[in-house]
Amino acid sequence: MPAVAAILELDHGVDGGRSASRTADVDPRTRAPPGRTQSLHSVPARGGRVPPYVVDMTDGPGQDVPTDAHDGIAVRGLHRSFGAVHALAGVDLDARPGRVTALIGPNGSGKTTLLLVLAGLLVPDAGHVRVGGFDPVTDGARARARTGWMPDTFGTWDSLTAREVLLTFAAAYRMPRGAAEARVAELLETVHLSEFADRPASVLSRGQKQRLGLARALVHSPDVLLLDEPASGLDPRSRVDLRVLLRALAARGTTVLVSSHVLSELDELVDDAVFLSGGRTVTAGTLVAAESARRSWRVRALSLAALTAWLTSVGAVWHPDADDTPAPTGFGPPRPAPDGPGGVLVDIADEEGAARLVRDAVTAGVALTSIAPAGGALEQAYLALDEERR
Amino acid sequence: MSAVIDEGAVPTGTSGPPTPATLPRTWTLTWHGVRTVAELELRQRIRSTRWIVALVVWFVVVGAITGLVWLSTRNVLEPFTNGAQVRNLQGPIMFGLVVFFVLFLGLLVAPTLSATSINGDRSAGTLAILQVTLLSPFEIVLGKLLASWIAALAFLVVSVPFIGAALGAGGTPVLAMFVCLGVLALLLAAVCAIGLGFSALISRTSGSAVLTYITVASLSALSPIVFGLTYLTTTHDETVRVWTVPTGGWTGDTPPACVWEDQVQPVTHTERTWWLLGINPFVIVADAAPQPKPETPNAISGDPLGSIRTGVRSLRAGPAHEIDQCWSERAQSKDYVSPVAERDVDTSAVWPWGLGANLLLGAAGVWVAVRRLRIPQRTLARGTRVA
Repeated sequence: MPAVAAILELDHGVDGGRSASRTADVDPRTRAPPGRTQSLHSVPARGGRVPPYVVDMTDGPGQDVPTDAHDGIAVRGLHRSFGAVHALAGVDLDARPGRVTALIGPNGSGKTTLLLVLAGLLVPDAGHVRVGGFDPVTDGARARARTGWMPDTFGTWDSLTAREVLLTFAAAYRMPRGAAEARVAELLETVHLSEFADRPASVLSRGQKQRLGLARALVHSPDVLLLDEPASGLDPRSRVDLRVLLRALAARGTTVLVSSHVLSELDELVDDAVFLSGGRTVTAGTLVAAESARRSWRVRALSLAALTAWLTSVGAVWHPDADDTPAPTGFGPPRPAPDGPGGVLVDIADEEGAARLVRDAVTAGVALTSIAPAGGALEQAYLALDEERR
Repeated sequence: MSAVIDEGAVPTGTSGPPTPATLPRTWTLTWHGVRTVAELELRQRIRSTRWIVALVVWFVVVGAITGLVWLSTRNVLEPFTNGAQVRNLQGPIMFGLVVFFVLFLGLLVAPTLSATSINGDRSAGTLAILQVTLLSPFEIVLGKLLASWIAALAFLVVSVPFIGAALGAGGTPVLAMFVCLGVLALLLAAVCAIGLGFSALISRTSGSAVLTYITVASLSALSPIVFGLTYLTTTHDETVRVWTVPTGGWTGDTPPACVWEDQVQPVTHTERTWWLLGINPFVIVADAAPQPKPETPNAISGDPLGSIRTGVRSLRAGPAHEIDQCWSERAQSKDYVSPVAERDVDTSAVWPWGLGANLLLGAAGVWVAVRRLRIPQRTLARGTRVA
């Protein structure tokens, strides 16, 4: 089995410009295309950092015990079946302290099962797990004392106030009463529920309950935070708050593992990403294939007709951009005139190809307005994996 | 936002692992942990208005039944007896019936308090987040048991005025009220614990509620029925010594003197099946209640609790091997002395055994629940989600 955990590193330093990817911006120096910032590397990374653009195919740490012991999350060869269903069939994962790691995969890929094992609720059939430096199976209480877990669906005690819920959990983690009260007030402030602190949880909206659940997972100041779809039900403001909070926690040294479907959210949040498919972390080979796959770029010009004519003349592979030119269904904005401004999707192998395309197009007199990778980096990688799977 | 991040006021994982003393194992038990869970459960329960409604309904129903018992016993007894005897009869009858009715209602209510406690939390998504905390499974289970028991006790407390009123009708020692309330409380605790066990075992709340009710019904209704059905199977023809008028009859006016005869008679060995009655909650309460003191030696015993007590104890003793059937001499002479020794029926209490059996079932429920709440789990019940 390939030892390389499928970790996709998104370089935040370079990533800074990606949020501007929708703006007209063709200078490749200011905005490194995310497609290339994803680099496969073996597990030991953050200390001596593997530079982006380097595909490191050397073997990762040993299979048995993590050699590079860290106090985050380390998983090796994890298997777990429910009867005939192999929910987890070989997961290797490292989530390091001080980093936000995304857990990405289609429905039923085993994300929730993995988080249940990490939270100390399920015994794996095989494999090694360390959470916060402890084995959740043999040293469960110690691991759980350091772990904050927010499940994808959870209930609340409708008759209790938000403050009471948090105080109960502080007591359940055996925090002294005085410290608990201070911590709870602080957390209610953090998740913007102070004004609801003494109202019963039944009046909270779904998003507010979600925030209360996050505060609950944080009540004992865990070193390791496991979040299952934390952004679902949150309004845009709360999503931004969540992102800021998780980045701040990571900056403080917390290990954060986030599973989510909202890939565009994760793009701006995570340092590392782990892809899960069919209960496996996607192996290096698969990811290399995904990496080398041609990637779609969204190219816009002042004249769509001129652009498509030129693309066809140079033999580039292009598709109409569904986002740019909606199908003539009778709804939405009318289709742009053929000679108006517009954009298409062009398959480009890599950044150099993109640069060449810009240069050639300008030379040929095509008035380009923007060129940007279509979709976020994670989304593209995810979709590539998804195709691989089929 | 930054407050959380910068503040180091709270013990965090980075400031060192918790001391081993605070790390729970499956059977770790601290009052702090039990109280945390019990408070959570009670807060959640008490604030719902259903709860108040249930208590009010209970108060009205028990009150109505007490009044009806008082009226009907007085109407039935008055024509036959004078005032003092009415008091002696009516008091114990009222007391017995009211206590039985409270027990009956308690057995109906107690399962609803605990039988959906664990699987209900599981389907509401509030169990797993509690399990991953540093509460031990034993603390979670005992906290839930304590909460449901306190709720059950609230119903008992509401009944106290009416049990007191029955006491005021006379003829019953005051101690009886305290003993009965104590035994009722312990029986309800056992039922709550049984319900808790089923709620941990069965994933559907309706399933665990039904099973708890079946268990309670088996103890209180099915056990006497089974006892009755086994009555015939424990009846055999056996040879017994009988002190009786000689077979063959007599010719003169006076019957001949009684003699010992060996006769083959059907004999029922209830000493083998009495425990079917002994585990019955109603029998347990009746047996535990102190005997009212008869004010006159010939006072008619109308005490339902006393009749059950006497009955179950003699059933436990089983059949006698010598029987006095010398009715003729007994009728003729007041000085008749039976040669058959007075049966030395074991009058030791039945209720400790019955109560013990019920509490043992409750303990089994707690044990099952704790086993099922241990994490990490190796196997999952069919159709359940962990969280």
